Amino acid sequence: MSNSWKIERRTFLRGAGAMVPLPFLNLMEARATKPIIGSKEDTSPVRFVTLFKPNGVHPPSWNINGGTENDFRMSPLMKPFTKHKDDLLILDNMGDFGFSSHSNSTRRFLSGHHGNRKTASVDQIIADKIGQDTAHRSLELTTEGLFVNQIGCSYISYDKKGNSIPRESDPQLVFDRLFRNPTQDPNRREEFTSLLDRIGEDAKSLQRKAGKEDIETLDEYFTVLRETEERLEKINAGSRSNVNFSTLKRPDTPVTLDDQVEAMLDVMAMALWTDSTRCISYMLGNSNSRLIFDFLGIKKQHHYLSHFFRNFSRSNIDSLLKISLWHMEKFDSLLTRLKSYKDGRGSLLDNSVVLFGSGMGHSDNHTAQRIPIVLAGKGGGMLKTGRYLRYSKNQELGRLHMALMQKFGIDQKSYANSSTPLLGLDGSPFDEFQERPFESWVNKAPGTITAQGRLRMSDNLDEAKVFYIDVEGKTSVRIEISFGDFHSFNVAYHVGTPIKLSGNSSEKNGQLVINKITGITSLFGNSKPGKANG
Amino acid sequence: MATLQKKGFLIPRLLAAFFLFVIYPHQLKAKIQFEKNILPILERSCLKCHGGKKVNGEVDFSKIKNQTDADSQYELWETVVEVISAGEMPPEESPQLKEKEKTLLLKWHQEQLNSPVESVPGNFKPRRLSGPEYRNTLRSLFGFDLKVAVAKAQQTVAGEESLVLKLLPKDPPGASGFINDTHAASLSPVILEQYTFITDAAIEKLFAPKQRSQLQYLMGENLPDEWRPEKISQNQARSLIKNFIPKALRRHISKDKININLKALNKLTGIELLNALKFEMKVTMLSPEFLYRGLLMEKFPGEQKSVDAFELAERVSYFLWEDRPDNELMNLASNGSLLKTDILTTQVERMLKEPQAINLAESFGVQWFGISNLDELIKNPISHHSLRNQPVLFLNHLFTKGRPVIDLIDSKTTFVNEGVSGFYGQDRGRMKRYSKPKGIERTTTPFQEFTLEKATWRGGIITMPGILTMNRGPIQRGTWLLRRVLGVRLGEPPADVPPIKPSPRGQKLSFRERFERHRSDTSCARCHEKIDPLGFSLDHYDVKGQFIQNKENLPDASGKLPTGETFKNYSELKEILMTSQKEKIIRNSVERTLSYAMCRKLTRNDQPTVDRITKNIVKENGTWKDLFVEIVNSLPFRETIFTEEIKG
Repeated sequence: MSNSWKIERRTFLRGAGAMVPLPFLNLMEARATKPIIGSKEDTSPVRFVTLFKPNGVHPPSWNINGGTENDFRMSPLMKPFTKHKDDLLILDNMGDFGFSSHSNSTRRFLSGHHGNRKTASVDQIIADKIGQDTAHRSLELTTEGLFVNQIGCSYISYDKKGNSIPRESDPQLVFDRLFRNPTQDPNRREEFTSLLDRIGEDAKSLQRKAGKEDIETLDEYFTVLRETEERLEKINAGSRSNVNFSTLKRPDTPVTLDDQVEAMLDVMAMALWTDSTRCISYMLGNSNSRLIFDFLGIKKQHHYLSHFFRNFSRSNIDSLLKISLWHMEKFDSLLTRLKSYKDGRGSLLDNSVVLFGSGMGHSDNHTAQRIPIVLAGKGGGMLKTGRYLRYSKNQELGRLHMALMQKFGIDQKSYANSSTPLLGLDGSPFDEFQERPFESWVNKAPGTITAQGRLRMSDNLDEAKVFYIDVEGKTSVRIEISFGDFHSFNVAYHVGTPIKLSGNSSEKNGQLVINKITGITSLFGNSKPGKANG
Repeated sequence: MATLQKKGFLIPRLLAAFFLFVIYPHQLKAKIQFEKNILPILERSCLKCHGGKKVNGEVDFSKIKNQTDADSQYELWETVVEVISAGEMPPEESPQLKEKEKTLLLKWHQEQLNSPVESVPGNFKPRRLSGPEYRNTLRSLFGFDLKVAVAKAQQTVAGEESLVLKLLPKDPPGASGFINDTHAASLSPVILEQYTFITDAAIEKLFAPKQRSQLQYLMGENLPDEWRPEKISQNQARSLIKNFIPKALRRHISKDKININLKALNKLTGIELLNALKFEMKVTMLSPEFLYRGLLMEKFPGEQKSVDAFELAERVSYFLWEDRPDNELMNLASNGSLLKTDILTTQVERMLKEPQAINLAESFGVQWFGISNLDELIKNPISHHSLRNQPVLFLNHLFTKGRPVIDLIDSKTTFVNEGVSGFYGQDRGRMKRYSKPKGIERTTTPFQEFTLEKATWRGGIITMPGILTMNRGPIQRGTWLLRRVLGVRLGEPPADVPPIKPSPRGQKLSFRERFERHRSDTSCARCHEKIDPLGFSLDHYDVKGQFIQNKENLPDASGKLPTGETFKNYSELKEILMTSQKEKIIRNSVERTLSYAMCRKLTRNDQPTVDRITKNIVKENGTWKDLFVEIVNSLPFRETIFTEEIKG
């Protein structure tokens, strides 16, 4: 079995379209060992995974605008995980009113509200419920070190008293603890025991010629060896999992952040699949992170770039979108991995709930509204996926957390500031956002165009400066303007909303293009936003 | 364990007593005898609270049973004499000492101090590597660091990077105050488990493709590109074992011993050979000989002897580098020439030029001056980086660039970056400026070596912003100066000190005036008359360490030392420190350095060594390098006493 197993972990290329033709699935089948878990009734346990994205989002590229529950167009930033559409439940209009500090937004993500500082975060409450039978109740993971001066930015998972739970960032370390630990793996235990025997034997020869001081030291050493051996003997030899851990591949030492995260996602999937744990929280970065994504060719700090309006330049926006896209790719990467593992009757993803998102909406003005939140996986049937839920009113994250707890069988009267669970996750009716109706049309005159419709960014983020106005029944009008126009008409502000726009135009292969704006009117909003909100 | 350590002094003491008896028999007769005269007083009046049912204030007289025990506690007696003369002990409610008893105690103490003491090295005791020593040893053995994969931004706090330091519990400071004094930090199953984990990680990494050059180095053989660990040959495995084990164990290893490891490889091939090889390497790295220092040293039970050349190499390299001896030291140890004074001296000079010498400042310097107190205090990582590294770089400069010991107090050289440049007034104009690239909101900036001209209020370690801000008030500053720089021992303040009273109605008193009223009690004054003048002298520096210039109503920074010397402010005090207090400062430097080098608390038997080195440094205005050379050639460093063999 040993060599048939060797898989070089692939380096995933950004934007390489369909990623990861994963070898895992075949491999698992080839192993011909029954899936470990729940084999009795063939019902698998449900896992809960959270993935935190730092520094909010750039709303013009993230938000879905228009669209309904079952008929929607995914936003440009969602492109990397569009292929998982059927497994997703995209939530919109989640959050709080007002603005949020980085630290508050980090707390909000899993604790429902930034003021909820005395109770456990939702992942921990769920871990208490589902994590008792596994070797590790839960894993709390991250990529970055601590920010001591803004400690709240470094944690999403909190214990019963609301205290932060230490997290681990090294995939090799996590792997070794899970799979190379003598207490978990019978093979390891055997090796460790013989190692202890041998060391003890060798050290005895030292003892023969030792003075009093040496004897004392060696006595202490032997005592420790003995205690360790005794402890190992006590460990129940019957391992919970029938996977031979020694066949799992230890991740290589990461060089870039991308390696580190990919390796960690690998380890996470293995941990869930082997049922070593059922609950994992993972931070793709600290909120307020000033990481420099040099492996993406970016030299500026992430936090600086995330303030895309006050630090506006086209290249800054490009850089920010590259970083955001990378975050989305990691989400995709996790989902792809979970899908590739067979678990019970379906895939590991079918038996999981993955909560992806942030605690902040707009990364420049820090609004706490329209926070990016996506659920993935059917949770063993508890979620009805493949839908886009845009709530009519702002929904606090506490309601989402209550709904998740309820699904996991935890009865809680209230959580954070919320007292009723969020509706609609399982297909139940919910109060859907109703947009004011508007007409869309386009009027052509020689050299000029006036178009009315919803403005959106190009789906292709490589051309982030290109916008479209969607016109019903017609090809969308392309807007390709200079920086001056973009800036003075504050085009980004109108993204997602219906507008009337006039300008000088040209036509290429039937595609109408506006090259110069002469006027923008917002149908329902503020027509002259000035420099507020990008 | 502590008692056993003390018992080790029995033999030298008996030898010494014998020696004294032969030459100065009259002195012995004249002595007040501890067992006969002093012990009964302690048992009667002190033991109840200090070693009987209770052990108050960590003072335990039950452990002191004879003259030998008493000798090893000479610092304790200083405190005893102080509290007894001040009438603080025994406490009021307890039966008091008779005048006769008091006089006897004081006289005995005087005799103790004045009695000649012979220079005797410490007795041998194996010692586990401290966390940083273990980390550095692994690093230089394998040629790579075991790092925790953790993304780092400019706000990220350091310290999580080293896998070793992350996994091992933090070493508590030993009796010497230094963490390399691991005598009391015992091994535990948890620590063993972490060693196992780290060992696995290191060996896994050694065989990873990226570490091929390291593996080749340890194997002593070039490997073709297509080579894979599973393809390892018998010869390759054997030469790896032969090279690795002596390096790991830091000395020549007998053929017989290595043959045990080699035997385990016999007849194996492929993956089985590889696994057996890894197993043997793990056995070595988890053996007590690797984890402890001194177990394999040549032993001469019951004798005082020079340590062998390998032990000397280890001593000097863990002292100056906090690391194992490198090839050059090992070669000089193999042929024995390291034992020669001139060769060892040349090695010290060489070692101070190597990059590992930074550990002298990073470890010894940081611990001596308590610089890690800044870690808790300054939460902003960028300020922390500046304030903490400035004194470390300065100490590194003194230690490795041949600067006089007394430069510690005053020096024109300092190290500055953007984080501390604002503390240097007009001198700032001459500093190289650093401008942040666009898109970088916060960043640490590099340090530059800088010669002070106008900022005469800086210079030396005491007025560095990090040090001043670490010790916020005059009392903390005074205590720090007294303890860490002048080496004066202070007792702990009593527990029941009332708060400092506000100014009485209608009067506006300064903190200093209010504080002086507050501490007028004699028991407070005993320490505070030493602390306060030093502390208040720095009152022209605010809590952040900024020098207050051109301001009216400056606080009173003048003072008078117990010696009678007076000064108007810190700069005048500095003059005093550089002249009349110079010997005291140098003595303290010698004591601290010797204690760190020996990884133990000094005893009275080290005093002749300290006296001699202090004298030489004072006379010659000696440098730190001179001090290190003196130490590595001193008796306690070169020799040890072996206790008698126990037949197991």
